[in-house]
Amino acid sequence: MLTTGLLSPRRLPAPDGVVRVALVAAGALLLAGDQVRIEVVARGNVRVEIVELAGTVAYAMRGGSARWDVDVELSDGASLSWHGEPFVVAEGAEVDRSTSIRLGAGSRAALRESLVLGRHGEAGGALRTTTRVALGDEELLVEHLDLSPGRRSGWAILGDSRCLDAVTTLGFRLPEAEQTLQLEGAGSIARRLVAAQHTSDLGEVWAAL
Amino acid sequence: MGTNPELVALMLADARLPTGGHTQSAGLEPAVLAGLGADGNKLGEIEEYARDRSRTVTRVEAGAAVVARYFALSGLELTPVERAWAARTPSQALRAASRRQGRAYLRLAGRVWPGVLEHLPGDGEIARPVVVGVVGAVTGLSAVQTARLIGYEDAQTVVAASLKLLPVDPVDAACWLTALHPEIEELADAVRGLTGPGEIPACGAPLVDVFGQKHAAERMRLFHA
Repeated sequence: MLTTGLLSPRRLPAPDGVVRVALVAAGALLLAGDQVRIEVVARGNVRVEIVELAGTVAYAMRGGSARWDVDVELSDGASLSWHGEPFVVAEGAEVDRSTSIRLGAGSRAALRESLVLGRHGEAGGALRTTTRVALGDEELLVEHLDLSPGRRSGWAILGDSRCLDAVTTLGFRLPEAEQTLQLEGAGSIARRLVAAQHTSDLGEVWAAL
Repeated sequence: MGTNPELVALMLADARLPTGGHTQSAGLEPAVLAGLGADGNKLGEIEEYARDRSRTVTRVEAGAAVVARYFALSGLELTPVERAWAARTPSQALRAASRRQGRAYLRLAGRVWPGVLEHLPGDGEIARPVVVGVVGAVTGLSAVQTARLIGYEDAQTVVAASLKLLPVDPVDAACWLTALHPEIEELADAVRGLTGPGEIPACGAPLVDVFGQKHAAERMRLFHA
């Protein structure tokens, strides 16, 4: 069932066993007061592929804020592939992003997430992210990042990088590489901190999945 | 028993305790190799780095220690605390470094405070904050003392390592550490009441992970981590 709100999901042609959905903005996104909520529930022998047809820009919010919440539940072998396009937080934007994923036995997910602070030539607004992933009853990954101006530019957080690009696999691992984080449980994060999204090599990591 | 918790806290915070504290830089060495401090021209970045850590990864450590202390006092199995810490520590290099340190602490603590071995295996590779939390439980440290110890130790590790890595005046280093006191108190206050593994903060620091991964593969280095 696909429902339209701020985003309009559209079913694309796909082979048997694959449900391919494109996310298209139904209007201007993301503005002060917007609360985007995306729920994905899949059970059984199905592969859900989500594609975004364009990046998203969170615009200046003049004291307001916006949310982008993703909630995924996969069970009985269902899998998810979600290639996110750049999520750009413009100067003056104030955004909270949360991703909550529950994986049952035999299920797996792969996600691309490119967070970009500022459009070309600007420093970018405030972004806080919360990721919570459970594999069965066990926490697999819990991470909160505060990427607000004044919090993010130090040598522990992002330095002078403006893009945090990541390919995250859950329920299975990426091949070993120095800059691939191998979680304690079955999962990996390949992360790149780069000046500009197009200089990240994660497109190749994604293509090799 | 004759142990004063305050003396225990002083002992645990003392780099002369044989737990290998001098082999640690809390990620400062790889950060300096990448440019932190600009060859001595931006030494203030050392204090900023310690402050960033206390708001992020050290909060995870302190939270895990406080919850481990609570679990040990309640007679609960510590595995869920270790798992929660691991889910909040995505870098395998940093988990391994913490467990190497935990092993050193445990080897010491098992002889100094044998009660620790009622909760943890003497030869176990257990995350350092879990071991510290159990030591705190056995020796009568309060939750806030345990958290403060973790916060202080991390800041002191950064500052002390900076003396070996950059042209730092030791008195400046002491000033940075003192300037971090309010930050350490805030951290201790934020986690002192935690009792459940799911409540442990999960504040990430992406560059700390990047440097941790890089450093594990490095051959020429002064510090293990």
